Amino acid sequence: MEENTNIMESETAANPKKTFWEGLKDFFGKDLVRYIVKRVFMFIPTLILISILVFFVIQLPPGDYVSAHIAKLATEGEYVDADYAREMREDYGLDLPVWQQYIKWVKDIIWTPTDSTYYRLYHSHHNWKFSFAYGRDVWSVIKDRLGLTIGVTAIIMLFQYLVSIPIAVYASTHQYSAGDYISAVFGFIGTAVPNFILAIILMYLSYKWTGNANVGLFSSEMLENGIHLYNFGEFLKRMIIPIIVIGTSGTCGIIRSVRAQMLDETARQYTLTARAKGVSERKIVMKYCFRAAMNPTVSGLGGVLSSLFSGSTVTAMVLNMQIQGPVLYKALQSQDMYLAGAIVMIQAILVVIGILLSDIALAFLDPRIRYSGGNR
Amino acid sequence: MKRPFKKVLTLIVALTMVVSCFAACGKQPTATNAPSGAPTSPANPTKAPDDSTPAPTEPLKDTFGESPELAKLVADGKLPKVEDRIPVKDDLFVERNDATGKALEIGAYGGIINLGPAGGSWGLSRPTLESIIRYNTDGTYYPNVIKSFEYNNDYTVWTFHLREGMKWSDGEDFNADDITFWYYCVHLTNFDGKKSWTALHDGDEDFAVLKKVDNYTVTWTFKNPKYPADFIENGDFKWCWAPEHYLADMIPNAGSYPAVENEYYKANTITDEQALANAKAKNIDSGTVKDLGKAISYNSWNVAGIPQLNSFVLSTQEGNNNKDADLCIMERNKYFWKVDAKGNQLPYVEALHFHKTSADGQDLLMFRSGEIDIVEIGMQDIASTLADLGSAAYLRTFASTSWGSNQITFNYTTTDSNYAKLFANKDFRQAMSICVDRKQVSELLTDGFLEAYQCAPSEGNFGFDAEWGAKWTNYDVAEAKKLFEACGLKMGSDGFYTFADGTPLMLTFLTYDGTQDTSYPVFEQYFKAAGINCAMKNLEVGAFDTQIDNNDWIAVMGPHTSIGGLSLKSRVAPFVPIAQAAEWYGEYGTYYQTNGEQGVKPEGDMAKLVELYEQWNSTPDTAKRDEIALKIYEIHKENLWSIAYLEAAGTYAVVNSVIKNYADNLVSDDLYQYANIVHYEVLYKAQ
Repeated sequence: MEENTNIMESETAANPKKTFWEGLKDFFGKDLVRYIVKRVFMFIPTLILISILVFFVIQLPPGDYVSAHIAKLATEGEYVDADYAREMREDYGLDLPVWQQYIKWVKDIIWTPTDSTYYRLYHSHHNWKFSFAYGRDVWSVIKDRLGLTIGVTAIIMLFQYLVSIPIAVYASTHQYSAGDYISAVFGFIGTAVPNFILAIILMYLSYKWTGNANVGLFSSEMLENGIHLYNFGEFLKRMIIPIIVIGTSGTCGIIRSVRAQMLDETARQYTLTARAKGVSERKIVMKYCFRAAMNPTVSGLGGVLSSLFSGSTVTAMVLNMQIQGPVLYKALQSQDMYLAGAIVMIQAILVVIGILLSDIALAFLDPRIRYSGGNR
Repeated sequence: MKRPFKKVLTLIVALTMVVSCFAACGKQPTATNAPSGAPTSPANPTKAPDDSTPAPTEPLKDTFGESPELAKLVADGKLPKVEDRIPVKDDLFVERNDATGKALEIGAYGGIINLGPAGGSWGLSRPTLESIIRYNTDGTYYPNVIKSFEYNNDYTVWTFHLREGMKWSDGEDFNADDITFWYYCVHLTNFDGKKSWTALHDGDEDFAVLKKVDNYTVTWTFKNPKYPADFIENGDFKWCWAPEHYLADMIPNAGSYPAVENEYYKANTITDEQALANAKAKNIDSGTVKDLGKAISYNSWNVAGIPQLNSFVLSTQEGNNNKDADLCIMERNKYFWKVDAKGNQLPYVEALHFHKTSADGQDLLMFRSGEIDIVEIGMQDIASTLADLGSAAYLRTFASTSWGSNQITFNYTTTDSNYAKLFANKDFRQAMSICVDRKQVSELLTDGFLEAYQCAPSEGNFGFDAEWGAKWTNYDVAEAKKLFEACGLKMGSDGFYTFADGTPLMLTFLTYDGTQDTSYPVFEQYFKAAGINCAMKNLEVGAFDTQIDNNDWIAVMGPHTSIGGLSLKSRVAPFVPIAQAAEWYGEYGTYYQTNGEQGVKPEGDMAKLVELYEQWNSTPDTAKRDEIALKIYEIHKENLWSIAYLEAAGTYAVVNSVIKNYADNLVSDDLYQYANIVHYEVLYKAQ
């Protein structure tokens, strides 16, 4: 049996067996550096195009922040005269042509000079401008929820992968078994039921059974005093619904795709050969099929960075989660273009970086994938 | 290969947990306690000419009560004793009755009142703001922050008397200097962006002259008579003070805001950038000086650290110190200047907590879970909520001052002559009114909660007239069709009326922000059944306003500025065509506002409204002004420029039963500052 395994392992017989670190060193060779540099240069036109799109799409709805703001004040019983509105537009630069607003926006994000008022006040060369709706520096609004958004989303993602991959492997190795059917049923339900509906149902059930709908990630006490050991249990309790809601939909997707990929791999020639040569089923599945089956999952990690930054907007709103998604929603709703622009722009940058990272990870995972044409 | 990936993930999660765990720290909530007040000698009621403050029933003693938390701070030497924090006994504000006149219970100290989201820029002020005067639900008012006021015989000199010993929330003295500072350095420079307030205008060009008589007395002098309606009763004129000791270095003189130099103030050399930097040093962020001005001298309750006279002040605790925070905290003003009938310093509760929510209905869910103590509730949720919660909650009703609900109105100044002629015909409006079965509408939209009604003052409000409320409310489609035909409309082959010249008649109802998404389909079926073809065009509110301002519309359902309201005293623009504000008078208002340069000159009854308004505005006598106001109402009754279908919906709040002193049968209106009429400083939590 051991002999046979070695035959399989000599699939790369031309290369002597390398340690993990040697492999890593080889991996980060010139090709990769060249590839990364090339991709980074490709970022520039991509990001310019994205930024133009972002800025102009945000400008599409009729009116602007000032008109939306004045209308809101009117609903509060406060009336703003035309002169004041005009002055506000001048101050915010909303009276300028859109292309000029765009150039100023991008220029200030890339580099705000040391002699500018912004630099003197905030000691930063990157001026993301002011959020009209929050009356604060855009970056400070984003920063407020960044840690929590990353933390919560990372926990949920970790849950998704830790739960879904073993289930997918089980389902593929026990095709048409009761366990496979059960995971399929839950998989389809999780994929088909919109997150926000599941969230509402779970909140209702939580209220019915416990008298508390568990709205929001934090209790009032936590919001005032912070999270400590004594209230950490309450925090975890409040994480149950978000994890189930956001986690299940993602989990179901991963289960279905990994299962399908695994089934595909287990029917391939190399698997049959390995099996014929007596390699243990466990080794076939875990060392060969699983590795190949992970490719689509890893390539899908491109969006992870962006998701970590924004969280799940609609579900976050329904569950009143204090993460970035609802901030973007509010910014879009109130035409707070600099805040909305910044969030969407950062998301776009993260998607681009995420795709690069996933490509690198993919190559690392699958030796058949190379960067230069010659090796491909 | 998987190890590094796992490690990174593990590291991210671990770091996030650690950061979250140590993100904040603070004090634990404390238990409620009974007040320790010990009253002594008589309080001096703050009398004004038409003061309605109820007479004191029991004299105050020489010592005063305070919350145990504050007493501890006093004992620790961290806070002056209560007698030194409140005005001198004769100048104290003794709060004995609620806004309906009912005597208040003596409360217990402690606890926190949890509320829903703070809302817009005025959200935090509603339960906390203390203004120059305060209204009762019957429209009477009394001096509030000021001790008293008086005016001379020709209404040219108004005198405000302040309360000796009154302090800002940071313990600094509040006196006449804070008023002169506000007027000359903040208001007349337009730093607060509110120089347009008419309350302090003196004719078209000039402004009142403010003089400090002594530390506790100021006078406002006008060349022209300044009648109460446009001064003390003017809804905009809520305050006239600012904390000089805190704001002075944030107000630029050398640029956008030249100082009004006089005996009180000389120009300084603070530039716009210095002002922004000085504000930043106090943790106040602003993108422009204009924003800074509005933030620190207008909606200043939203900025942590700025001293206030209000009952509660925004916490400076990081994470809880802005209205958009997930938990925004307004803490008890330790120097608050009101006491209860037993001499206990108000407010009773330690803090108001505003919980941010991100979707409709979450606040009600949190109320049911016990996380929120008071929540505004839609009428459709009242029965089920009270049934579920039983004695754990009670309902409070705020009467509406609106003139009916589900209003529609038409563009009387449209440039399309067919529509203009049609809308000018009262028969058309009558037909549009009677072609709808109000009873069924009520069933469909409000579960029968609201009665059929017209666009008229509600019962209990000034100008209420039952006949007016019932006018054109009988459901009669046949009669409506007769009226449409009497207007010259012709029935087309498709079952819809056309104009006499064969042009199709299409009523496109403009709406905003989806507010009519539920009700429009209900009305559509009636209008179409009566032969009026119609459609709805929903816009974002800014675009809606622009279209109205551009006179580019035919009809509106759910106007942004509805006709009517509490009274002309509250706000004139909804009653008479004098501003570019309300849909029902469209370009007629523009004509008045631009002195005839733009807009459409009002004629007939519209013109009469303007004439009567000018008479009303220049009449000091309250009874005569009411007489004129009723004439204005009579014209509205006659014309019904807007049609309403149901009575005005009130505002409802459900309140946790442990909250006491929450008055019932209140009135919700801008003049009363909506929830401000609850008087949150007297609410307390029962043991």
